[in-house]
Amino acid sequence: MNPGIGRHVLEGYRVLDFTQVVAGPTATLMLAEMGAEIIKVELAPDGDPGRVGPVRVGERSGYFVQHNRGKKDVCVDPKSAEGRAILKELAAHVDVLIQNYAPGAIDRLGLGYEAVRAINPKIVMCSISAFGQTGPLAAEPGFDFLGAAYAGVTSMGGEPGGAPYFPMIAIGDVSTGVHAMGAICAALLYRERTGRGQHLDISLLDTYFHYHEASVQAHTLSRGEIRPTRSGLHSWYAVPAGVFRGRERYIIIIAPLQQHWEKLCVAMGQPDLARDPRFATNDDRLRNLDALIETIESWIRSMPSDDEAIAALREQRVPMAPVLSVEEAVRHPHLRERGTVRTIRDRILGEFDVPGFALRFSDFPEPLTLDAPTLGEHNEAVLTVLLGYPADRVRDLEARGVLRRGNA
Amino acid sequence: MSAESPVHVLEGYKVLDFTQFVAGPTVTLMMAEMGAEVIKVEVAPAGDPSRVWPVLKDGRSGYFVQHNRGKQSLCLDAKTPEGLAILKELASRVDVIVENFAPGVIARLGLGYDVVSKLNPRVVMCSVSAFGQTGPLAHEPGFDWSGAAYAGTLHMIGLPDGQPIVPTIAIGDVSTGVHALGAVACALLYRERTGKGQYLDCALLDSYFHYHEAPVQLQSLSGGAIRPKRMGSHATYTAPAGIFKGRERYFVIFAQIDHLWAKLCAAMGRPELTGDPRFADNSARVAHLDELVGLIEGWIASLPGDDAVMAALRAHRVPFAPVLTLEEAMSHPHLRQRGTVRRVRDRTLGEFDVPGFPLRFSEFPRTLELQAPTLGEHNEQVLTRHLGYSAGQVRALEGQGVLHRGNC
Repeated sequence: MNPGIGRHVLEGYRVLDFTQVVAGPTATLMLAEMGAEIIKVELAPDGDPGRVGPVRVGERSGYFVQHNRGKKDVCVDPKSAEGRAILKELAAHVDVLIQNYAPGAIDRLGLGYEAVRAINPKIVMCSISAFGQTGPLAAEPGFDFLGAAYAGVTSMGGEPGGAPYFPMIAIGDVSTGVHAMGAICAALLYRERTGRGQHLDISLLDTYFHYHEASVQAHTLSRGEIRPTRSGLHSWYAVPAGVFRGRERYIIIIAPLQQHWEKLCVAMGQPDLARDPRFATNDDRLRNLDALIETIESWIRSMPSDDEAIAALREQRVPMAPVLSVEEAVRHPHLRERGTVRTIRDRILGEFDVPGFALRFSDFPEPLTLDAPTLGEHNEAVLTVLLGYPADRVRDLEARGVLRRGNA
Repeated sequence: MSAESPVHVLEGYKVLDFTQFVAGPTVTLMMAEMGAEVIKVEVAPAGDPSRVWPVLKDGRSGYFVQHNRGKQSLCLDAKTPEGLAILKELASRVDVIVENFAPGVIARLGLGYDVVSKLNPRVVMCSVSAFGQTGPLAHEPGFDWSGAAYAGTLHMIGLPDGQPIVPTIAIGDVSTGVHALGAVACALLYRERTGKGQYLDCALLDSYFHYHEAPVQLQSLSGGAIRPKRMGSHATYTAPAGIFKGRERYFVIFAQIDHLWAKLCAAMGRPELTGDPRFADNSARVAHLDELVGLIEGWIASLPGDDAVMAALRAHRVPFAPVLTLEEAMSHPHLRQRGTVRRVRDRTLGEFDVPGFPLRFSEFPRTLELQAPTLGEHNEQVLTRHLGYSAGQVRALEGQGVLHRGNC
């Protein structure tokens, strides 16, 4: 592949980052991974609440490091007039401003879109929130899974008739950050051609609702006859597709397409099953789902081991996967080889694993080495370089508590 | 782009779209929503396999329409020399190529990146696949949940001693499409500054692994002492955060931060609980999780109804959400008012609901009217307009079976 020009695709873009915890920091981490300069603004005295997320070693948090690598850090007292003035000065010198406070909070800081646009008409401002900047729910406090609950997504995970489950991963926060990143880059493309900035309104609720790849249209087009809900271990509309019990582990098998169903029958040593009237078409299989599941699971149980069942499926190219634990996933050679899991080195925490950068650019095959900042680490660097403050003025602002610095 | 009033941020960009089902079509649908011109190439004779997925009416699929609004359809036999020649001519005239065939298929068609980058050095080509273009799993067949299984993500959903649960929505497909959209937009930004195109490799497995906002570093930094796994309905490293049973419905409640816990205690009419050593801080609450859940569900059960629960939580600004069914979500005024759920009109299917466009640009507050194409609907338009073919030539190619057209 060709060598790239510069450090990465977004080199030269500067971002003022008022985000915290996961959703917003995901967007700016991805921009940092692509070479953008990120100035993270933390509000004194404590900064990002993510700084106390587990695992903590001393005052340093692995959770914070994972989400804030590659960012410069300025810690400002928002209650002081001087602090707010510094934030306005910074807003004049950036391409992008991004924030994920509760709706309205950024306006109270004096940095609502109208104010920011007056300072910097070409700025792309992105607001991330649980429910969006407008609408009846906009002012409600929110976290990841609240968006899922209002999107009808929580109701889609669990045993039929049982309690819905709470995924132990931040699907919505991370994906909302990815939506924001895409919107920002599209808005920058538009700005490069027209000179016009704009405001982007990205929400967890919208992101979660986006996941309904089939259920929304199915419900309305069937005039309410189809009422999609959680269906346990198997798809409600295309089968076989779901989680099957092995001897020691669970195995995902996805074979609703006719060619894959036929291959699955061959893998099970029962090629005639593909023409069995109970299982001949997707509709037949849906009507006889219990028998279908029992047929497949009893075949798996009849094999000497799960590995042999997996090998038989692989040989016939039936789409399948063993359900790996987190420990198994981080050791898997495929995830290691591709850098899906990446070992990073933090100056305080040492080496540990985090998810790698999910986007791969042929011009930049090597990921950047990015460090997470300590609180207020770049107060001086940012204010002297970007705003032309003398170093002693920065020290004076630190002494008076307008700027703050921490050890971790 | 028309100088006066562009229709949206990506107007003027041309995309050659070799995608099918959900993950790939999500990328190109989002680009269409942003005004890009999308030419969907469908493989003759049947085209995108999702054209027959439910709900079907008069041969038209609501599933297909949802994912392919705003695209032009070119249906051709790529194995004929004429068909391949047309595709190469188009590849040399577009800005972006997106494909989600199994790895290797696009190269066997004669349109691998090494070929198209010679025809068109500025092209941004994006491949979307289950496991990526490289690594030990690259050539395994896979669909959405296969990536979740290998990412250790499925391991995180369900009861602790029960089976992992697949959410019956395409979280991975949609999110991988959004990742790819972001990568494409960034690569275009880079191209506009350097003139260089490049190749992007996006995978379901990488997107699913990206969701591990905490588990990977928890496992790794704790030296394996923490082994993250599914925990049913409640988070286990922070509490209370989870799904609580009401009388008629479930609630998601977040009060895991001390000041939110104090608000929840006030909402429950038990302000003295904040001084209870069992619940004094997050680690105490985690250690007494069963008691904590019992206490909160006991309070919920003591109220006359779920509405009273919601009123009390709302009055104290405790982050919570009722777990809505899909039907409730689709009729919720917030989702309607923001266009999170959108009513579209298809010429065959009539009016029905789909998820709205989740990115909101202040410059373009109105969403575009987009129609899903019938199979090969734009054969003539694409070939005459972009390649200068005569209408007679197009008819001849249709007669020879190089190009195909369908009714739906």
